[in-house]
Amino acid sequence: MAAGPYNYSYIFKYIIIGDMGVGKSCLLHQFTEKKFMADCPHTIGVEFGTRIIEVSGQKIKLQIWDTAGQERFRAVTRSYYRGAAGALMVYDITRRSTYNHLSSWLTDARNLTNPNTVIFLIGNKSDLEAQRDVTYEEAKQFAEENGLLFLEASAKTGDHVEEAFLDTAKKIYQNIQDGSLDLNAAESGVQHKPAAPRSNQLNTDQQPGKEGCAC
Amino acid sequence: MSSKSTPATPEGGIETSQGSSNPLSRKLNKILETRLENDKDALEALKALSTFFTDNNLRSRRKLRGDIERRSLAISEQFADAFSVVTDQLDSINQDVEAMNNSCQDMTKRLELARDQTSDLINKTTDLQKEGQRLDMRARVADAFLAKYQLKPEEARVLRGTRDGQLQENFFHSLTRIKQIHNDCKVLLRTNQQTAGLEIMESMALHQETAYERLYRWTQGECRSMTGDSFEVTLLHCKAMEALQDRPVLFRYALDEFGTARRTAMVRGFIDALTRGGRGGTPRPIELHSHDPMRYVGDMLAWLHQASASEKEHLDALLRLASAQSREEEIQEILSHITEGICRPFKVRVEQVIVAEPGPVLLYKLTNIHKFYRYTIGQLLSKEASLLATLEEMEEFAQKVFFNALNVKASKLVDKVELPPADLGPTGSLTQTLSLLREILTSHDSSVVSMDTRQADFAKILGCVLDPLLQMCSLSASKLNPSDMAAYMINCLYAMQTTLSLYEYTDQRLEMLEAQVDAHVDTLVNEQASFVLTRVGLLQIYSIAQQHLTTEGPLSSVHGMDSSSVRDGINRFDSFLGSPDSFTMPQIKLLHSTTVREKIHKRAVALICSAYELLHTAINHPANDYTEPGSIVKRTPDQIKSLVS
Repeated sequence: MAAGPYNYSYIFKYIIIGDMGVGKSCLLHQFTEKKFMADCPHTIGVEFGTRIIEVSGQKIKLQIWDTAGQERFRAVTRSYYRGAAGALMVYDITRRSTYNHLSSWLTDARNLTNPNTVIFLIGNKSDLEAQRDVTYEEAKQFAEENGLLFLEASAKTGDHVEEAFLDTAKKIYQNIQDGSLDLNAAESGVQHKPAAPRSNQLNTDQQPGKEGCAC
Repeated sequence: MSSKSTPATPEGGIETSQGSSNPLSRKLNKILETRLENDKDALEALKALSTFFTDNNLRSRRKLRGDIERRSLAISEQFADAFSVVTDQLDSINQDVEAMNNSCQDMTKRLELARDQTSDLINKTTDLQKEGQRLDMRARVADAFLAKYQLKPEEARVLRGTRDGQLQENFFHSLTRIKQIHNDCKVLLRTNQQTAGLEIMESMALHQETAYERLYRWTQGECRSMTGDSFEVTLLHCKAMEALQDRPVLFRYALDEFGTARRTAMVRGFIDALTRGGRGGTPRPIELHSHDPMRYVGDMLAWLHQASASEKEHLDALLRLASAQSREEEIQEILSHITEGICRPFKVRVEQVIVAEPGPVLLYKLTNIHKFYRYTIGQLLSKEASLLATLEEMEEFAQKVFFNALNVKASKLVDKVELPPADLGPTGSLTQTLSLLREILTSHDSSVVSMDTRQADFAKILGCVLDPLLQMCSLSASKLNPSDMAAYMINCLYAMQTTLSLYEYTDQRLEMLEAQVDAHVDTLVNEQASFVLTRVGLLQIYSIAQQHLTTEGPLSSVHGMDSSSVRDGINRFDSFLGSPDSFTMPQIKLLHSTTVREKIHKRAVALICSAYELLHTAINHPANDYTEPGSIVKRTPDQIKSLVS
């Protein structure tokens, strides 16, 4: 059915951050289009993509804001952290400097999002093993110290890309389930679409008032 | 007896030849010839006789005949008795059969009678049966017709809907059916069933109208309720919009209703983000940062961007089944409507920020961030959207205030001209203004605006700042002597040049500044050359020699140009050659730019050399009548050149 993918119960807002050229846009593109974009232009400000995924039988729409890594856009991208339910923090395993900057990105993320925002650390370009500059163990330890989820992925081969996005969603969903994420909060980064059963039948409580209305 | 009457027997034939004359003998013969053992009858008779003729006595012999006859009688009687029973039974059978026969005949008669009577009925029945079949067929045809051209009761019921106005899934099925029937009626109209066709069409049209009416009411109600942050666009909604496309007016109204609901929701969401933030204060309300204009406005704009994107998604979802052609246009129109509501609250806040005049640099940054978002949000909305118009308005406003602020600063510069400092360096106001310019240009660099606009902006900003600066410098330099003025101007221009050279799109300005510097350099070069010549006392000698014409007689006879004066001057010139640096004008030492300093030095030296060369030529010229010219000018010009350079 054509309408199938539109029936989702939640919208999760993500933000992707990290230094310039670590492959943020490529990760997004790989995730939404399942393709590798070979010569990806620099992101101007912010761009966004969506995809519907399924977690524990729930259809969830991900609204992913991909930010520019260039320093000159920092002022602009900073405003997009607001209300993100998930933050994907990306570095390039072949460039140590991008890893070294993580703590500043993390500070931004912690300051500008809400405490429940799930932060996921992604070491991108795992296909370039020969040029590796940051070991898995080191990044893993950093992630553990800061309470981050962590995976090494490759936007080029698509390796672990899906997992990173899905695991973030799972964690957010889990937070919703155990009540630590308050859906009623205005900017939790999650929008809940109230009733799945409504897809077939309307909520009766909305109707009576409307019927008599002659417009 | 029979044998007597039949002489034709074979025996008789034979006997006729022997004893036909004597019947008795014939008889006897016959008896004799009779072979008793062959006569079974006789044997039987004898056997039977033996059963009762047990005593061969006279009496029995006499009574034999009687006995036999008696026995025969008895047997006959027995026989008769036995047969009388049979006869009786036969009689009774006969009677029965006759009775049966009678009744059969009776029945036959009655059957015939009945057949006569029913044949009519049978014929009628057959007729009726045929009629029945025909009717049956017609009924089936009629049913099929109805099935094709009429709604089923439940379909009609679904269309009428329930009291509470709910819409059921199969509503759209019924609606399609009506449309189908309506279309099929056109076939009917082509046949001779036009009346039926017209009537059905009419009734279907009626159904259709009520159905659309109801669908519209429902959709309207649904759309009106979509005011929350989170709401669901269901398949039913999409189908409703798809179906409503057939009624453009209703479709439009429903969309408008949706737009109004979302517009309200968006304004509310915006105000919430501004004033409430997330639950528990994170993220913090945007207005908490209102002391930081860039952050405040940037957050608002980012919020607008994200909200616009989300609204577009909602609309795309709602109209995903609607045909593509109407979609883009409608979506854009409604999107403009939705985002229109946000314009006022946004505008009021930004205006407040701008009116507070946070300084030129911030104003410029504000202009640029508006420019950036006008482009970014412009990718989502159509050009006509009032949100974009508002962004443009704010951008222009910020820009206007920015240039105003710049102009005010500039006119202050001109109004209150500072005197040049003793070191002839740039004044405080100049360095301040230049650092402001540097700040502005740097902030531009970090902005996100396209090249073309940046270039145009730069030209305007530079015009705004540099022209008054130049004016100010000229004004403050006006009271100085030419050398001081040249040195001061060069220093000021140099400060401007170094500032500008760091940025792009300043080439034209730099060229202009360079030209002005060159003019002042020329002044200084001349000043320096004459300064040196004055110090060694050759200036007058040089100018006389320069202006002297051969027709006026020998140069040595001119007053002040006699050999001793000239020799004196040339000798003093040697002191310059000994330490050329001590002969540099103080103004030149005050120049900030070493390259300019060296340039002036070189050119001044060249000028001095050419002056020397002129004197050298003139003194060595025989027409000028100098005695021993070689002792007056000991060095050739080339020697001088190599000495000083």
